[in-house]
Amino acid sequence: MKMDSLDPRIKRWKLQEQRQEEYSSSSLDQLPTYEVFIQLKEGKAFEHAGIVHASTADMAFLFAKEQFSRRYSCTGMWVVASEQVWVTTYSELEENIYDHIGQPAGEENDPQDDFDVFHLYKRGKQHKHVGQVKAQDTRMALLKAKASFDTGRPVLNIWLIRSINIQASTPEDQVIWSTLSEKTHRDVISYRAGDKLNKFKEKHNEG
Amino acid sequence: MKGNQSQSALKKLLYNIADDLLILGHRNSEWTGIGPLLEEDIAFSSMAQDKIGQSLAIYELLHQLGEPHPDTVAFMRNANQFHNCQLVELPIGEYQFSLVRHFLFDHSLLLRFQGLTDSSYEPLAQVSQKLVGELRYHVMHADSFIRQLGTANEDSIGRMQTALDIAVPYALGIFEKSPEEEQIISEGIFTGEQNLYDAWCREISKTTSLTSLKLPELNPEQAITGGRQGKHTKHLQLLLDEMAEVFKLEPGAEW
Amino acid sequence: MYGGGNIFEVNKSDNLNQEDPVKLDEFEARIARGEKVEPSDWMPALYRKQLIRMIEQHAHSEIIGALPEGTWITRAPGFKRKMALMAKVQDEVGHAQLLYSAAETLGKSREQMMQDLINGRSKYSNIFNYPAFTWADSTIISWLVDAGAIVNQLANSKGSYGPYCRALERICAEESFHLKYGHHAVIHLATGTNIQREMVQGALNRWWPPMMHFFGPPDKISVHTEVLTKWKVKMATNDECRQQFLDMYVPKIWELNLTIPDPNLRKNSETRQWEYSEPDWDEFIRVINGDGPCNAERLSVRRTAEERGEWVRKALLTKEAKYVTPLA
Repeated sequence: MKMDSLDPRIKRWKLQEQRQEEYSSSSLDQLPTYEVFIQLKEGKAFEHAGIVHASTADMAFLFAKEQFSRRYSCTGMWVVASEQVWVTTYSELEENIYDHIGQPAGEENDPQDDFDVFHLYKRGKQHKHVGQVKAQDTRMALLKAKASFDTGRPVLNIWLIRSINIQASTPEDQVIWSTLSEKTHRDVISYRAGDKLNKFKEKHNEG
Repeated sequence: MKGNQSQSALKKLLYNIADDLLILGHRNSEWTGIGPLLEEDIAFSSMAQDKIGQSLAIYELLHQLGEPHPDTVAFMRNANQFHNCQLVELPIGEYQFSLVRHFLFDHSLLLRFQGLTDSSYEPLAQVSQKLVGELRYHVMHADSFIRQLGTANEDSIGRMQTALDIAVPYALGIFEKSPEEEQIISEGIFTGEQNLYDAWCREISKTTSLTSLKLPELNPEQAITGGRQGKHTKHLQLLLDEMAEVFKLEPGAEW
Repeated sequence: MYGGGNIFEVNKSDNLNQEDPVKLDEFEARIARGEKVEPSDWMPALYRKQLIRMIEQHAHSEIIGALPEGTWITRAPGFKRKMALMAKVQDEVGHAQLLYSAAETLGKSREQMMQDLINGRSKYSNIFNYPAFTWADSTIISWLVDAGAIVNQLANSKGSYGPYCRALERICAEESFHLKYGHHAVIHLATGTNIQREMVQGALNRWWPPMMHFFGPPDKISVHTEVLTKWKVKMATNDECRQQFLDMYVPKIWELNLTIPDPNLRKNSETRQWEYSEPDWDEFIRVINGDGPCNAERLSVRRTAEERGEWVRKALLTKEAKYVTPLA
């Protein structure tokens, strides 16, 4: 039995009547998640925006672009697999999490990786990028982050990401956002109808 | 631009481009809300919106050249007055067909607009300059999907291959020459369909060569043409009737 | 788009006595201080369960909510409407994505949520079980249903769960476009030709009763939710949301010289409350339990979309792909 629809797109699908058997996506085909960071304007810090499900960092980048930067403005984007993000505990009572972290004990000579450091300043808000440190592991990166970025302002939670794991937009990629400001069909400013409404009200009240 | 003759050549080119964009944008919008994966649903919808927006930009150039208002042009013409290639009017099919069409068409579109940035018709050069950025994203998206689905597993490779075999003869119709072709080239409006075709062959082969897909022989003699002269499959008039169903209830009204 | 309603069915077995009293105190103190709860914080099992249920229903409402308006996506009249409706329906899909992500942080996978939706184990906003007969129906949805959703979502955005609040912040910003677009389109119909006016009046007549259902049954017959109110999961009562909606939008409908199909609708100048004919709550229950005009179609469309897309998701799923719970 075919099911009818008012939607011509659905009509073309030729839907079947409700089926008795349960729906089951055979393998629960859940793709991995990637964390997305957006830079709204040149010079502003990258900020966490949300996640996308994707197969690879390349595809996560493509998906994130339209999910998190299809409005307003954007000058850069980073994506990183959720499992590549190293997270501290959240501090309690708005304490500074850095207060629980010691000082680096001398310089290391081992090969150094770049780590990007992100701070959360208020619960419910997004993590913001504060800078990079060089370290051999996350433990050392955290110590170095304290030395570089602890201003005393309470930081409630810290994320550390090996820079090499971040898929970042390049300066050449920036053109993909070049017409963003013209996508006014997504913006309230395109839908002003006050004049039309007022004219109608005047006419109606006269009548 | 001098003389009426060259203006008609220019208009012909603009109609080819705008009609392609409108019809494909419309087709691709049929996936909005019912796509295969939420993130892809969103991305594909954005690109459909981009295409409709691009077609509007070109119809506005035509309006400046004395053609009717874009809404009238888009919603009131019949199929035989449309100049799009037949590739874009075909139904969306299963997702593999929509993706393969997107890949084949958008490569030609990026190259076309890149070429048009040097057009002697300055307003067209300016619009093209603006649009190449967003098209770069469309092509990144298309290539990425072709690479992944064209290598993933037997099922996906088989689906993509079948879609490619069906779509390529229609895609060759993108480059159907108009009677005005020589004039378009000599006036410096565009470098021409042959140049575009050569560059397109190189670009799409580059991507498919990274996959398990076999690009069908690109033989211009197998091109399915006629669209540029107003000859279409039955699908286009059905699409236009659907698109204009509400508009034609009160054609003069503001909606 | 989401309107709350009859969603919190607190079971007697949801017993807080099993929770660690010290941790429970700390948790409640955090909420009382106005701090948000983040995914890795300790939380009572009941809080997690009810949040998943609420956010999941909200997400389902967005993805199913894309369908009634999607009915008109290929027929929108003119470039302006065509692009706006595409963007509007796209936003609903985007909102579903954001909300499923927020629910995922609580430990339920998106695919599991989708399966529960399709198998009827999870609800979505009742209003999307009604059909969009004409173009005007789509404009009334964009305007009034989204207006109702904003009332509800603004309240929820002050709730206690961080990821949900972050999602709602983005969603509310985008909904303001929906509302403006919907109002703009309705104004054009209501001030237009006779055919257009009749079309929009017809749509209003159809959508008003489901709109009165949208915020759920009256407080006096709703499930008691004190603990969820204390935990800032439920932020406003059904009646509060309904009154706020009527306050904001009835005058805007009347100024277009449209008739709201309820002869008893008026604002009581003494109580400053809106009075209206009691909506048919039996119908509400009937539709929520599957017997509405479009329930079967909506779920069948969603199921077909999932089934037709399964090969794409499978092909994207690489061997190395490892799912971990998203962070925030």
